[in-house]
Amino acid sequence: MREMKILRVNHIYFFCMVVFPLLALVFFTSLLNEGVPEELPVGVVDLDNTSTTRSLVRRLDSFQGSRVVASYRSVAEARRAIQEGEIYGFLYFPKGTTDQLLSSRQPTISYYYNMAYVTSGSMLMKDLKTVATLGSAAVGQAKLRARGFTPQQIQTFLQPIAIDLHQIGNPWSNYNVYLSTVFVPGVMMLFMFLISAYSIGMELKFERGKEWLAHADGGIVVAILGKFLPQIAIWLALIFFYEYYLYGVLHFPYEGGVMKIVTLCVLEVFASVGFGIFAFGLMPSLRMSMSVCSLWAVLSFSMAGSAFPVMGMDGPLQALSWLFPLRHYYMMYQITVFNGFPLIDAWFHFVALVAFTLLPWFVLSKIKNAMLTYVYIP
Amino acid sequence: MSIFHNIYQAIEDACYIWRQEMKQVFRDEGVLIFCLIVPLVYPLLYSWVYNNEVVREVPVVVVDESHSQLSREFIRHCDASPDVRILAHADDLDEARMLVSRQVAKGIYLIPADFATRINRLEPAVVSVYCDMSLILTYKAIYQTAVSVTQEMGNDIKRKLSGLWTARDEQVSLSPLRIEDVPIFSPASGYGSSILPAVLMLILQQTLVLGIGLAAGTVRERNRFEDLVPIHRCYSGIYRIVCGKAMCYLMVYIFMALYLSVLVPRFFSFPALAHWQDLLVMMIPYVLACVFFGMTMSCLVRYRENVMLIIVFVSVPLLFLSGVSWPQSNIPGVWQGISWLFPSTFGIRAYVRLNTMGGTVSDVLPELRFLWIQCAAYFGAACLVYGHQLRLSRRHARERLIYLRRKRQVRAQLRAMKA
Repeated sequence: MREMKILRVNHIYFFCMVVFPLLALVFFTSLLNEGVPEELPVGVVDLDNTSTTRSLVRRLDSFQGSRVVASYRSVAEARRAIQEGEIYGFLYFPKGTTDQLLSSRQPTISYYYNMAYVTSGSMLMKDLKTVATLGSAAVGQAKLRARGFTPQQIQTFLQPIAIDLHQIGNPWSNYNVYLSTVFVPGVMMLFMFLISAYSIGMELKFERGKEWLAHADGGIVVAILGKFLPQIAIWLALIFFYEYYLYGVLHFPYEGGVMKIVTLCVLEVFASVGFGIFAFGLMPSLRMSMSVCSLWAVLSFSMAGSAFPVMGMDGPLQALSWLFPLRHYYMMYQITVFNGFPLIDAWFHFVALVAFTLLPWFVLSKIKNAMLTYVYIP
Repeated sequence: MSIFHNIYQAIEDACYIWRQEMKQVFRDEGVLIFCLIVPLVYPLLYSWVYNNEVVREVPVVVVDESHSQLSREFIRHCDASPDVRILAHADDLDEARMLVSRQVAKGIYLIPADFATRINRLEPAVVSVYCDMSLILTYKAIYQTAVSVTQEMGNDIKRKLSGLWTARDEQVSLSPLRIEDVPIFSPASGYGSSILPAVLMLILQQTLVLGIGLAAGTVRERNRFEDLVPIHRCYSGIYRIVCGKAMCYLMVYIFMALYLSVLVPRFFSFPALAHWQDLLVMMIPYVLACVFFGMTMSCLVRYRENVMLIIVFVSVPLLFLSGVSWPQSNIPGVWQGISWLFPSTFGIRAYVRLNTMGGTVSDVLPELRFLWIQCAAYFGAACLVYGHQLRLSRRHARERLIYLRRKRQVRAQLRAMKA
């Protein structure tokens, strides 16, 4: 009862446990609503200006991923436009392209794209490459038709080996599915870390530690359980709402089924709260434990390896990534929920999350000691 | 008293506040962590994480049902490519799937039984690629390797089929139009070179705001009335307080900005194309805007720890709003509007253009203009909130004074009654 009152009286709890996580949820899902970046602005430098080059430009414009917004008179001018952020790339036809093409002198066309932004750069690269290849193929096709090949033979000649791509689980390569499923739980985890350390630390700060322990008749286990049960209930409600929104409303793919999602959520909440308490127990000072929690949580967005894979990092970092609960959350999500593989394949991450839950065990006596003897120093 | 004397007095007061604030920064452990240690260590950590830039040798399982010379050629070529490594040969798709499920491999190449037969019969052949889509970089590596290897093999087949006379003729007929692929500004298309400059600028803003917020929280907690502004002769004018405090943070952060924007990219050989003059022109308004932004924010929190709860979580959304990982042209209008409130949005954009893309000041003029506007706006806001705080603390002081006076009166009366 006492904890309920604290949660209600201090507004920061309401904001950090309900408002901010929901804000993060709305932010990521609405920002990435498109799924794949569409209609990226591109430019054209067409020094040839013939019907052939113009038809290629029109074709580029008609692609879903790109939109031709401007044409420039020189490469230097187009490069400046990229530097000013107006376009992300451009297609360049030198003078005499069509002439050389028709007289089989193998002209060169080029496309430039800005790789300072990896996502837009690689999206554009795909479109620009397709257009350039189509231009090349059109010539070959006309020539083969003139020599009397059948359409199937032409098809085979142009592309002898085709690729049949299966993008398992996310056939649209939707970025929302990649990012919202890791970053939103990451933000929630951040708050779970911080609030867990914060709520114990506040007892110390306002010298209510003894009172708190007295309520539990001096039993630290009872005290901790009593303190965190209401919080855990709120976190669980929050995260279940998030999962419902993701899978129920936005229809994200989940191969693994509902039970695995529930397991994952429960594990995330318990592991994060466990980590928060442990951090406080390790450094029984409000400020230090919160600093450590926030630094750890912010770092875990990178160490989860959802954007840049952990296997591409250096060896020591790969080992370090085990210390981040978000990493295990991500791996479990990816193996069991996203790909729908059996839980046994993620046993290591399961065990790790359980271990994070049990971490406070080691520091219980230290917390009790801190509550009874320490004095808050700002 | 002449006006010059007034100005001189104001500057002197500001300098006094500057010194007090400096002392406080170095005495407070929490502020020290966020103002000195985090900006020094965090960038190194992040650079280390992203230092490898690209993923190489992604493990892939092959299911070769064709067992022909052509299928083996395909496998050999894939294995020889930089991005993919053939981890194992599986007998069927289920076995391969098991390896993927155990996280040993990231994708499957399936070569059907009629692969070579179809090629020899002049029918289109197919290679199936199954990708674990949980990581976009490995998916790209697996798919693009398969594409380039099949194209290469296709060219060989075309050459044999075309029956042309000279080598030049073959070249022209294989690709009548030569295509040049030019990734500019970051030719290795590394993940680190793209994300790290943004992270550096964000660290600058976030640690600054956290540091100022924590320092303000400490002052408040030490103060008897939980006020931000102490009662002292020098703390008499709004501008003196704001300028004095700003000078302190500016002094510390000029060095941090230098370290983050110039040294760290060079330590890890990330792109660093900016001229120092351009960088200076950009960093001054950015740091100033961050300082005033932090001072405005610091007045809004009551306990020192609350600032941490608020500032830390916005880091990741701010990174996205800057347009580095998700293209700026595709951010919904509402979020674009909100992003204008934060100096980091423009700071990151300007820095990336100057430093990674080798732009000049004229390329980032709109961003610079926005930064100066933010500077002015947050300076105004900081003055407003500090003015409010100043009034509060004066009122508290007056109340206290009246209380003390009355206490003395009552005491005197009591003494008079006793006597």
